Amino acid sequence: MRAVIFAILVFAFAPACGDDGDTKKAAGVSDAGAPDASCFTDPMTHEEIINACTTAQTIYKHPTLPLLNADGSLPALPQ
Amino acid sequence: MKRTFGLAMGIALATASPAVAVNCVDLPNPIYLQVGDTQLNLMKALGRKLRDNTPKPITLVWITSGSCSNIDLMYNHNPATGITLTMSYAPSLAEQATFTTASTPLSCTPPTAAPLFPDIGNSALFTSACTPNAPPATVNLTIGPRQGYVLAMPKGTFETAITAEEAYFVFGFGPTMLATLGSAIGPWIDENQLWIRTVTKSTLLAWAANIGVPAGKFHGTMLNGSPDVVSALQHSSDPKAAIGILGSEVYDGLRDQLTVLAFRAFHQYAAYYPDSTVTSRDKKNLRDGHYTVWSPTIWMDNVNGTTPVNADARYVIDMIAGHPVTPEPNFEPNVVIATVGLVPDCAMRVTRTLEGGPLSLYKPPTSCTCKFEATVDVSTCQTCSASTPCATGTCRDGYCEEL
Repeated sequence: MRAVIFAILVFAFAPACGDDGDTKKAAGVSDAGAPDASCFTDPMTHEEIINACTTAQTIYKHPTLPLLNADGSLPALPQ
Repeated sequence: MKRTFGLAMGIALATASPAVAVNCVDLPNPIYLQVGDTQLNLMKALGRKLRDNTPKPITLVWITSGSCSNIDLMYNHNPATGITLTMSYAPSLAEQATFTTASTPLSCTPPTAAPLFPDIGNSALFTSACTPNAPPATVNLTIGPRQGYVLAMPKGTFETAITAEEAYFVFGFGPTMLATLGSAIGPWIDENQLWIRTVTKSTLLAWAANIGVPAGKFHGTMLNGSPDVVSALQHSSDPKAAIGILGSEVYDGLRDQLTVLAFRAFHQYAAYYPDSTVTSRDKKNLRDGHYTVWSPTIWMDNVNGTTPVNADARYVIDMIAGHPVTPEPNFEPNVVIATVGLVPDCAMRVTRTLEGGPLSLYKPPTSCTCKFEATVDVSTCQTCSASTPCATGTCRDGYCEEL
């Protein structure tokens, strides 16, 4: 049985983004080896809302999940 | 030994469940409700306030059941599903001065001459998650406060977060199958340590919609009530692998005994708690869209055309929904709502139209964000009064509200 490796678990209080007019910005906390997580200062869509800049406690977790399809999508549930 | 145990149990039961001594119909102005068990604290707190609401005293008489069962009862009024079981109500101040949401409510016997159908039914999620049918013309739906749902573990776990993908595999495939595929997801590696609810319950259906696992395909032990899930977590034989689904208000009442997991939704960069931090109680992330696992509570009452069959039932529903009511109560309904872990509409800044559906921005007609935060945690809003007006916003309840 292969153990699942949690690649990153960073526990931090991410500061809100700056306010110099850009829509998408670095959140201030990034996970090693991966692009900086970004946040949205003027969210409009669902994806922007859930990734809006916030002062809330932020936990970055990107586990390696071997059962994902090659394109990163989820496999169908077993019957 | 067995006799001693039996005696102890008997005493415990007698203490926990006062003997049925009254008929519900004999209580002052009874309103009958069938609600989800996530609304139990609301029933106790609001029920208590309404008993002592001198402008209009009301006794909330309730029974709990799954949201889908409650919808079915309200929509179809099937005589076979009328209420026959012992019901609960909150004592007035004069009856029991020390009553709190942690107390056992009083019991009464429902009328038996004909099937009893509730004046008010509650669903703790979108009705469309239970039935594709629109409500009949005889039932009115009112959207009430928002209800959060959490994944919780026993206290002491090192785990802080779970992603939607992890939850999909853990609950959709199950630890046993994942192990055979060489893809165990730690620490949730024990099929017998997944504690879930039955398929009529909002807690399961809300999580199902948010992680993409149909309710009927969930792996885990299905339990009837939230207290059963709490007990299973508290007494787990393998606490590091134990995980259960709960209403956020249940967790809020047991923070010293349980650990809440931050949740990262699909397409989300990071995981968040329902609150802005693991220790706060402000429901900020639920209110602004960073925590996605929440549902509206839906309140159903019987109508004849557009007229409520029971005006006092509508009075209660309007109060729960944050609408103005006449006569004005001698307490603040939104404070009651907030203190039992629900979020009133006036504090929300996102909305959705179906269970687990996409979020969109929302602005309520009038805001109570500052008052809400001051009630449950700390408000950073400017305070105001007649002599110290707001620089911006509207002065309401002593705070400068945005809207």
